[in-house]
Amino acid sequence: MHQTPHITLYSNSVGESYEEETRKKIVLLASTLLFSSLSFSDMAVIVHPDNTSTFSNAIIKKIFLGKQTKFTDGKIVIPMNASETLPTYDAFNDKVIGKSRTQINAYWARLVFTGKGNLPKILSSDTDIVSTVSVNQGAISYVDSSSVTDKVKVIANF
Amino acid sequence: MKILKTISIASLAFALASPTLAEVRFSGFGSLVAGQTLEDDEKLNADFYDVGQYENTTTFKAESVLGLQVTADIAPDLKATGQLLAKGTDEFKPELDWYYLTYQAADDWTLMAGRRNIPMYYYSEFSEVGYAYPWIRPPSNLYWWQVTQFDGFHASYDFSTENYTNSVTAFYGNEYSNDNKEMLYYAEIGNRQLNNAAIVRVDEYWTDIAGFNVNVIGDSFDVRMVYFRNDRKRIDTNVNGETAIRASASGFSQQFYGVGGNINIDNFTIIYDANYVECDDDVGTVFPTYLISTVYNIGQYQPYLSYSKADHWQTKSDNENNYEEHYMATIGLRYNLSSTASAKLQFDHFEDEGDKATGWDYHGNSQTVSAAVDFIF
Repeated sequence: MHQTPHITLYSNSVGESYEEETRKKIVLLASTLLFSSLSFSDMAVIVHPDNTSTFSNAIIKKIFLGKQTKFTDGKIVIPMNASETLPTYDAFNDKVIGKSRTQINAYWARLVFTGKGNLPKILSSDTDIVSTVSVNQGAISYVDSSSVTDKVKVIANF
Repeated sequence: MKILKTISIASLAFALASPTLAEVRFSGFGSLVAGQTLEDDEKLNADFYDVGQYENTTTFKAESVLGLQVTADIAPDLKATGQLLAKGTDEFKPELDWYYLTYQAADDWTLMAGRRNIPMYYYSEFSEVGYAYPWIRPPSNLYWWQVTQFDGFHASYDFSTENYTNSVTAFYGNEYSNDNKEMLYYAEIGNRQLNNAAIVRVDEYWTDIAGFNVNVIGDSFDVRMVYFRNDRKRIDTNVNGETAIRASASGFSQQFYGVGGNINIDNFTIIYDANYVECDDDVGTVFPTYLISTVYNIGQYQPYLSYSKADHWQTKSDNENNYEEHYMATIGLRYNLSSTASAKLQFDHFEDEGDKATGWDYHGNSQTVSAAVDFIF
């Protein structure tokens, strides 16, 4: 990109093949940007629309590890996981929690069998998740961005 | 404590009989473990408390276990939990090992009452849940106490700071372990007698068990500190039914101190636990123990190494050091079969450094191979 683009684009002396190649490069660059932006925001963390709490990635992580049981507005948190069969389950663990399925399960096994934690509830589809979160003030979950409706509030995209 | 037991069982029964009133959750864990020592005359205590041992023939009974947990929400902030455990060392006869009520007194205050494990060592409260740790077992030469459970009360306070999640738990309780399995085993191998007749039953009482745990969890580490104290009493019964309090193991208190945890650095997990038990008996008995283990996390594989050391001194005696002493060096591999099951293969070298002249080397050296499948459901 050290050559000035408009010279290569509009100079007749450069020839058509060079112009063609540049156009391909632009298409490639545009599609790279498009796809990377898609994969960056393909999952949305959602709460009830009335939830006015503040969130950060650290808070979301704590909530889903059972370490934070209240929102910043004081309401009790009801975290809900996507079923392991949904692609968002692994994506969420990978991007937000930073643990593998096995590490997560070992972590919860310790808490559950010593009576010090309850596994988050599990919902089997994005439709279920959106409808459950839309009617529960304390709910927090995550879905594919394309499943979001105006009945829930998006607090983070991953 | 019998009242407490009745209350928790009644609560469970009530909850089970009234599905419309209470949400009941079932979950469980299990380990199928096979192992044996390499040489004819070798023996390894893999489970001191339940006398789960490996000898030179393969057995599944020393450590295999199946646990079923039932939790019932019996009121908005009150739940009842029961844990039914079937262990190979008890011929898989199911026993209600844990039963307790949990009351969420406030968002950050939890009260528990009932029967649970004493929170002694880092892994004490979940030592039966093989899936929750890398090895086949937490090093058995540290988890050597004849009392592991108690009937009691716990009060926990949880608090968070920006980077840490913390909790402080205070506990109090008693354990009257009648016909203690581990103590009877020692009486038998030591041909112990009372009034010239073989001892056939040993009762071990730990009373006024009182202490606290402090837990600090950060992003890449956690630390757990423990202190508790209790009074000790041991009663022997011989084959003729005669009983006597054993003076050398009665009428004193002991203090238990410990610090343990995990540190995660890149793909490595370092696990450590250091403990010190001090008895205010006439001879000044102390038991210093420690564990250090390194686990390498690579995909579904977790190779690991550990070293655990247990010692026994009499600080007020002329002979201070020549008592029980042993270490265990372990190498093994965990492979995650699925997100709820893992397979493990482990080799343990147990070196008995106990005093030979006085017979404190009664465990003997051993080399043991064991394989396990652990699962949760």
